Amino acid sequence: MRFTLDRRSLLQAGGTLLAASALPRAAFAEAAKINYWHHFTSQTEFAGLDAVLKAFAAAHPEIVVTQENIPNPEFMAKVTAAVVANSRPDTSQITAERVADLTAMEALIDLSDRVESWPGKADYPADRWKGITHDGKIYGVPQFAFVDWMYYRKDWFDEAGLAAPKNYVEFLEAAKKLTDPAKGRFGFGMRGGAGGQKYIIDVLEAFGAPLVKDGNIGLDKQPAIEAIDYYAGLLTKEKVAPPSTPNDGFRQIIEGFTTGQTAMVWHHTGSIKDVSAKLKPGEQFATATMPAGPAARIARLAYAYNGLMKADHADAAWTWVSFWAEPTAALAFLDATGYFPASAKLAKHESITGNPIYAPAGETLGYGQLPPSFPGLAAWSENVALPAFQRVLIGQATAEQAVDEMIAGLEQAK
Amino acid sequence: MAWLGDLSETRYWMYLLLVPSLVLILAVVLYPTIYGMQLSFREMRLNRPALGTGFVGLKHYLRLYADPVFWTALWNTAVWATAAIVLEFLLGLVAALALNRNLPGTKILGVLILLPYFLPNVVAGHMWSLLLDPRLGVINDILVRIGILETYKAWFADPATAMAAAILVEAWHGFPFFALLLLAGLKGIPSDLYKAADIDGAGWGAQLRLITLPMLKTVIAAAVILRVIGLVNSPDLLLILTNGGPGRATQVLSLYAFQAAYKDFNFGYAAALSVVMFVLLMLFASAYIRVARVNKD
Amino acid sequence: MATIARSTRLWDIVTYAVLGLLAAFCLGPIAWTFLTSIKVDDDIVTKDMVYIPSRITFDHYVKIWTQSDYPTLVLNSVAVTAMTVAICLVAGTIAAYSFARFNYPGRSQLMLGYLVVRMFPAVLMIIPLFIVMRSIDLLDTKIGLALAYTSFLLPLFVWMMKGFFEAAPKELESAARIDGSTRLGAMVRIVVPIARNGLVATGVFVAIAAWNEFLFALMLTTSQGARTWPVGLQLMVGEFQLPWGMLAAGGMISIVPVVVVFAVVQRVMVAGITAGAVKG
Repeated sequence: MRFTLDRRSLLQAGGTLLAASALPRAAFAEAAKINYWHHFTSQTEFAGLDAVLKAFAAAHPEIVVTQENIPNPEFMAKVTAAVVANSRPDTSQITAERVADLTAMEALIDLSDRVESWPGKADYPADRWKGITHDGKIYGVPQFAFVDWMYYRKDWFDEAGLAAPKNYVEFLEAAKKLTDPAKGRFGFGMRGGAGGQKYIIDVLEAFGAPLVKDGNIGLDKQPAIEAIDYYAGLLTKEKVAPPSTPNDGFRQIIEGFTTGQTAMVWHHTGSIKDVSAKLKPGEQFATATMPAGPAARIARLAYAYNGLMKADHADAAWTWVSFWAEPTAALAFLDATGYFPASAKLAKHESITGNPIYAPAGETLGYGQLPPSFPGLAAWSENVALPAFQRVLIGQATAEQAVDEMIAGLEQAK
Repeated sequence: MAWLGDLSETRYWMYLLLVPSLVLILAVVLYPTIYGMQLSFREMRLNRPALGTGFVGLKHYLRLYADPVFWTALWNTAVWATAAIVLEFLLGLVAALALNRNLPGTKILGVLILLPYFLPNVVAGHMWSLLLDPRLGVINDILVRIGILETYKAWFADPATAMAAAILVEAWHGFPFFALLLLAGLKGIPSDLYKAADIDGAGWGAQLRLITLPMLKTVIAAAVILRVIGLVNSPDLLLILTNGGPGRATQVLSLYAFQAAYKDFNFGYAAALSVVMFVLLMLFASAYIRVARVNKD
Repeated sequence: MATIARSTRLWDIVTYAVLGLLAAFCLGPIAWTFLTSIKVDDDIVTKDMVYIPSRITFDHYVKIWTQSDYPTLVLNSVAVTAMTVAICLVAGTIAAYSFARFNYPGRSQLMLGYLVVRMFPAVLMIIPLFIVMRSIDLLDTKIGLALAYTSFLLPLFVWMMKGFFEAAPKELESAARIDGSTRLGAMVRIVVPIARNGLVATGVFVAIAAWNEFLFALMLTTSQGARTWPVGLQLMVGEFQLPWGMLAAGGMISIVPVVVVFAVVQRVMVAGITAGAVKG
């Protein structure tokens, strides 16, 4: 491609095309083609992406976006292969937890300059950008947010005369009161299977053993043992979690909650539509902020971003990536998915503020933290921390042994 | 076409017959395999470019030796492969023998019995997850109704049953492979042999031992080796059912290598694990072939 | 006479019992999958097990068919599978024949070599394979994927067919050769028809393996090119939900072509080896 692809030549090309529609097909080759990798999978997500794509096609007909969906568990595998083989996509969806590894393998393009001069930036407070900033450089534009919160069975709580727990002590009490094996009920649907590593990290930090302290990676042994003792103890000692816990991933805890097995589950705003489809919001279930631990109140704000992986069609790619912040696009996406918007302006939209279910998320935005991030964290949490924790759950290890394993694993990961 | 016929009379005909397949295999497989092997002697941590991709000798192998997870995975792999193969072979043999009698209705029953193999690992894995689910699982429901269980059991959450349940799913999925192969093999055994044995007064057990199995020896060998390779190298089913859990109870080498490569981005280590798997399979195959050949009459 | 008839009848009963049990064992989960595919979501994710649903829906089938371009994916799979089987049949049969019928220096090493190339885990081969495919411009093409499949399915084909060829008696070929046929003629006209059952069985395996393969398809194709249906199915397994109904529907759809092909092809197999030739 010899001609420059800056905005002016694109518009010129577009104008020429319109004026000379009788020209042979070759003329259309001037339209920029970019592709977009993502891991949207559910119906609602597809609908949201579709809406944004349509809006984009209407607003920028000279850019053709080809979307490519990749199963989330295999997403990094495909990206890794693309990076190694130098066959990258133009743009890609990026979740905050992957940023450390992606920047380490130099998969992302620095967008700092474009972001600085972007008018839409004002819409996003500084904390929105933290997750996508590495070494002072910004690598993406916020797309939406997952805000940690807790679902609980309001009807059961009302029956027992309980209020949503605010800290771990109240949490355990409520869980105990609502556990009734005779009725097949358990207080808490713990996620001991796939994806459960996230909560292990959160509980560790809530007890005062954060993964990264003053820039140092490691675990404070004593509070860590207390944390694992408490958290695993929910199953092993207090028995407020169902026996299937060690293999329960996301779909299991949600199925447990929606079929009336558990009274409380920890998740985030992304699942609100799925839960609302099965239980009545406000009557059967309600949402609450995550309970606070003895040392800290941990609730993660996980942002998803869109970024560039290839600079070949940088302008067109940037147009696509920043388009998500346009009101039409953002609103259409919110409508379809119910995902909490990343933009501060949109967070004040009536569909959010007018809905009491979203209230805890709004509140959490005030104090929520970003998840810890360093290269190798994802692998450590999934391949070391989670199995170690599972062994405590199944009684094959003590909390202390598990913590030792985790600390050893962290040393390796460094 | 006549020249082809003449060509077939030459001395090198038997080598020529191999050429098309050899070319195909080498062209596609050789480079990746060698690439993978040499990678095991190099450092390649994708998310640590600072470490470079230089030669590190036996570093990964040494780490492997000292890695408790490796040994656990090795043991689990052995258990997994052996139990699954034995089950699949037995079920397959029984099915093949029964189908071979060619009673009316065999055709339909044959197709039904082969169905599990037609499903991909992905679908089979998810479906059995549903069947054995601790909340939605119909097998649990049936077992409770019959009275064998008191409440729904979380098969994959209990380290004692996780591996067994996974092996059951794998056997269900894979035994038709043996059934089909053995059936085809059985059809090639001349019935005179059996008639002669009947006259000699040999019972069905003796016939099985002395006629059927020896005649099927090569087919069995091929099937077993191929299936073992598949079981050891492919993490698909366990990836879906348990992901190595709970607490590494079902962690196998193929899963470990997959995680090392695509979660840890440590391709050097993954390559070392792969080489180990490769060597183990080679040893197994040569040992098996030697044993099978020694008995060749 | 009577004892023989009675013991045969006993064996018949045993045979039917065994076949019945096995069929139930095999069919059970699939029948449940079918039921799941026509159940309403509320009847799948529910506290009280629903055996025979009182309300059924074909929504899942419709959704999966219209979403993510499923028909195209299925067609891609058909093309890739057909190509793979065709290549294997041609290249693999002659190689297997060579191993089975001739003895020559290097034979056992070559045989083992065919097996050995299969032994390196696919996990690590994917990236270099990706690079190779890209450099010869076969990435994301049906023929490229078929070649990739052929490379690891050929050894399977050759080894299995070798067994079948070895089981076929040599006398017929010797007779043909005495009658003046070339080796090629003996191979094509005599042995291959006899080993037909084996060819069919092995061909079926290769076809199923190619039809169901996921990992290579995922890494070597995109949705715009040669993506096959297993990748499309896995895409439904989202982070946040497992749409059981759709997954079940997808599974059922995938099984239909395989069953049809097999039922057709099975006639060749169950017909048995032509009576006279071998048993005589």
